[in-house]
Amino acid sequence: MDGRIVVGTFRDGGGENGMSELVRLTDVTKVYQGGLTGALNGISVSIEKGEFTAIMGPSGSGKSTMLNLVAGLDRPTSGTIAVGGTDLGKLGEAGLARFRRDHIGFVFQFFYLLPNLTALENILIPAQLMGNVATARAAELLDQLGITDVADRYPARLSGGQQQRVAVARALINNPMLLLADEPTGALDTHTGEQVMELLAGLHRQGQTILLVTHDAKLATRHAARVISVMDGKIVDDARLESPERAPSDVIRVRTEEVSR
Amino acid sequence: MSLKYGVLGLLKGEPLHGYEVKNRFEAMLGGTWDVNIGQIYTTLQRLERDGLVRPAGPRGDRGKQLYELSPEGQKALDQWLAQPDSGPQQLHEDIYVKLLLAARIANGDLQGMLARQKRAYLQRLRDLNRLEERARRDGRLDLARLVRGALLHTEADLKWMDELSSERFGTEGAKTE
Repeated sequence: MDGRIVVGTFRDGGGENGMSELVRLTDVTKVYQGGLTGALNGISVSIEKGEFTAIMGPSGSGKSTMLNLVAGLDRPTSGTIAVGGTDLGKLGEAGLARFRRDHIGFVFQFFYLLPNLTALENILIPAQLMGNVATARAAELLDQLGITDVADRYPARLSGGQQQRVAVARALINNPMLLLADEPTGALDTHTGEQVMELLAGLHRQGQTILLVTHDAKLATRHAARVISVMDGKIVDDARLESPERAPSDVIRVRTEEVSR
Repeated sequence: MSLKYGVLGLLKGEPLHGYEVKNRFEAMLGGTWDVNIGQIYTTLQRLERDGLVRPAGPRGDRGKQLYELSPEGQKALDQWLAQPDSGPQQLHEDIYVKLLLAARIANGDLQGMLARQKRAYLQRLRDLNRLEERARRDGRLDLARLVRGALLHTEADLKWMDELSSERFGTEGAKTE
């Protein structure tokens, strides 16, 4: 070890007045009937506004469970989850559904677009549920995500990358305070996956708080400055990575051998 | 890698003098290579002695000598390029031995060591990602490809740490035989 690696001092993103907390999990436990897979065992962690955080771990480690609990898609067995200062446990089912719709964007591995609606109609659903006419916002997102020309197509006529862009636009239509992404590149080829990740990175640069679940360490470290490792339902590491400009020879070194004799 | 064949490969296109060989090398490998000009001159002299390169014309300005590939050098280079890298896997980082030794000495929990190493690998992945981005932005495809190889290697190292963590490596007590 050469001392260049200092973890725990660098903080990425954040507002002008330092960091403000957006998500807090306190001693969160989730027990599933009939098995340990995906269970959580006393997790406490805080996510700051403006952070791009990756949650990594093997399948069954509980990383997706964590995301689903933060999204309010599921409730913990014990412990509290606060998002934007709201204690999700204090909300009833309707309240939780409203909170999700108004404040949380969720992107899944398999897009989950409604097949009998066009791309644009899919994007507009969450706004319509709020009673909003969001055509201007939708046009802005279509443009930003580069899918304006396929807005009137049905999902079956879109490529995987286009479908995921539509899903991202749908997640963003209500300007959520938190964007959650569960393996958003898992169903895409490497190149398309990178494009989708670039897109998320662009949103982060504009201030979007993003919580990403992935098993791809290359992608995670490319975009997220904070990597939380989950194993057996526990957080085993919480690394804040540095982002300095390093000389190439400080990052990799090609070794050469001289001619013998 | 072999400096000898690296030099032969660079001379393949056109005759170069020692300093140009060094510059071409650096341009190709993007500063990830740490050979000095003295090693290049020594290598060129040995290659000349072995008949693999030969002077191209008389010495010029300030004693600069252009070298070109000889037919023998061309043959040696072609053979080297055609030959896959086989032989043993090179493991030259300390961690391989460090973990085994620590398992014997500490005779117990290695989770801390694995976690620290994992963090170091995560940071390295981040650094490599940034270097790849910069290389692509600057149009340096050779360097970007090299970095991509390093990224995939580091990812494998990280997976190894995860595997060792999940088998509770070290906690079973090291076998002494």
